Amino acid sequence: MRSRIYTIIAGHFKSWYRSKSNIFWTIAFPLLLIVLFGAIFGSGSTKFDLYLQNQDLNANTPTPYSQQYISVLNDTGAFNLHTVAAGQTVQQALDYVKNDAQLHNRGQRLLIVPIGFASELYSTKNANISLFIDQSDQASQSLKGIVFAATNSYASHLSNSTTSINVQQTNLVTRNIRYIDFFIPGVIGMTLLTTGVFGAVNTNGRYRELKIIKKLATTPLSKIEWILGMVGYQMILATISLVVILFFGYAIFGVTVTIDIYTVGLVVAAALLFPGIGMVLANFVKEAESADAAANAITFPMMFLAGTFWPRETLPDIMKLIANFMPLTYVNDGLRDALIYAQPAQALTNTIIALGLAAFFIVLGSLLLNWKEE
Amino acid sequence: MSDNLPAPFPGQSDKVVQVEKLSKKYKDTLAVNGISFSLAKGEVFAFLGPNGAGKTTTVEILECLRAPTGGQAKVLDYDVSKRSDQGEIRKRIGVLPQDFNAIDRLTVRENIDYFGAMFDHQLDADQLIELVDLKDKRDAQFKTLSGGLKQRVGLAVALVNDPALVFLDEPTTGLDPRARRDVWYVIERLKKQGKTVFLTTHYMDEAEYLADTVSIIDHGQIIASGTPDQLIDTHGGKKTLIIRDAGEEGLKQLPIGLPKAELRNAGDIAIPLNNGELTSILMSLGQTPLHDKEIEVRRPTLDDVFLNLTGHRVSEEGN
Repeated sequence: MRSRIYTIIAGHFKSWYRSKSNIFWTIAFPLLLIVLFGAIFGSGSTKFDLYLQNQDLNANTPTPYSQQYISVLNDTGAFNLHTVAAGQTVQQALDYVKNDAQLHNRGQRLLIVPIGFASELYSTKNANISLFIDQSDQASQSLKGIVFAATNSYASHLSNSTTSINVQQTNLVTRNIRYIDFFIPGVIGMTLLTTGVFGAVNTNGRYRELKIIKKLATTPLSKIEWILGMVGYQMILATISLVVILFFGYAIFGVTVTIDIYTVGLVVAAALLFPGIGMVLANFVKEAESADAAANAITFPMMFLAGTFWPRETLPDIMKLIANFMPLTYVNDGLRDALIYAQPAQALTNTIIALGLAAFFIVLGSLLLNWKEE
Repeated sequence: MSDNLPAPFPGQSDKVVQVEKLSKKYKDTLAVNGISFSLAKGEVFAFLGPNGAGKTTTVEILECLRAPTGGQAKVLDYDVSKRSDQGEIRKRIGVLPQDFNAIDRLTVRENIDYFGAMFDHQLDADQLIELVDLKDKRDAQFKTLSGGLKQRVGLAVALVNDPALVFLDEPTTGLDPRARRDVWYVIERLKKQGKTVFLTTHYMDEAEYLADTVSIIDHGQIIASGTPDQLIDTHGGKKTLIIRDAGEEGLKQLPIGLPKAELRNAGDIAIPLNNGELTSILMSLGQTPLHDKEIEVRRPTLDDVFLNLTGHRVSEEGN
């Protein structure tokens, strides 16, 4: 005899793959989003983005030497210069660059004109500038070459052959995170959210309307077996989504990821958490159609606020606050930490939060699930 | 086997269902009001009544889906109120819930296997497909079937564990006449196989055609029980002689001294018959211009029984 749980998983799975719309929303739609967003935001500029911090100020005004040097860099036509506020420490400047570069899909490259640049040049004919680049950034070598050339050109322009400016290069160890790298874990999170919530609303709302749940309740099948079957099915679906999206991301955009225990933990959490939310919804909104609308009302704001399409840092403060209460936030952040940033400590925190939320919602959903008619 | 059920069923161990003073209250509504009945092995029992009479509530108590508010009910000698007995009942009963639909995207066979896998013991799906006459649709997805065929899948699913007792809750509601007949045919086959069937319906003809015994329920109370013939003989009233298409003119042509005749819709004249009056009435009609009209004798039906007992008829929709 086949086990009941296996039968329920197989039943859900067959119903899933026989529906074109299910396949579309679970597989094709996320891939379509990746292609669209990747094409829109992934296209590179012919100029190199370069962050620039000019610390060499005099009464809050750039010194003439530093101003001239920046003009030379600008005149090369090779750079889109993005100014970093002068008052920030090096670390603050690097943090700013990291966030802003991710947001705008730029390389992390920072050039600092230090305090005393002008006075050093004037007094010792020798000055330093600092260039921070990411060695994994394919453009870094070209960019470095242009910076060196422009700097030498400026030094010679000072009409004194003894003048020299040293470019002190520092390699950034962080990976160059492109928008597509940021986006792919978000798409995975979004897919887990929609398949989980809508799957549970469908099986527990529509199946109740069709009297399938009532029929099952008259058999030896227990409520726990039913829920385990549903969660098992969601885990299989989540794994398929994960594999397909990651494979696609690698094949089309060369996105490489790290799959570790946190990834597994987050997929397990998502397969419990989102069906749990769906079960709670299906209980409060009795008619399947209304439950579907309620599922949309829950999933859409989460998709847009929980860091699926853009970093939460860009949201207004009130939205950031709201996002903190959205379970998808922790799944998205955790997936990003685990898959892309390889930050185990942060991934662990998010995985624990996601698992905690998962336990809460699946238990609440199970308690509320109207197995019998009482 | 539990033996704490009091007096009403002494020595009736062949009883598959025993219900005593059963009641169910929802907030302020008494849906089932102290009903008692029993069902013998191998019997087709019809629970007959309009929508909202308490049929489904009663059935769902027997299926262990609802807890009774009062009274006792035993199914296959197991107490529906005892948690430990409920598991035993579920193993042994087959249920077709009202308005049941199987899983849309599974085929007929897959649906039977799906629900069969919920039991330790499962009948061969192909055998069941043959029983409900769905061989041609074996591999068709459920969503592609017509209403009648869907209901036959429901019947197969209800039988998948070879149950000792089958509950069919309004199995033909909403079906066209042909599909209803097809479902009746399957139920007749079950009857021939000796299955015990608990059928709820608001169709009087269905109960009359299929049931060995009938209990009529209205407003949560059983108002009459017996075989269809017993109910008709006791509560159905007189037979009626019908003269087809006679119209107003026909009424004037009736011989003097006949029981009070009435004109019914479509112009038929109805004359209530007392025992032994038929021959004399026919002879007297032969002397009138009505002698060439189509004449038939109509036996009372359960419709008449219900009308006589409650003062109202049940509509096609069950209201």
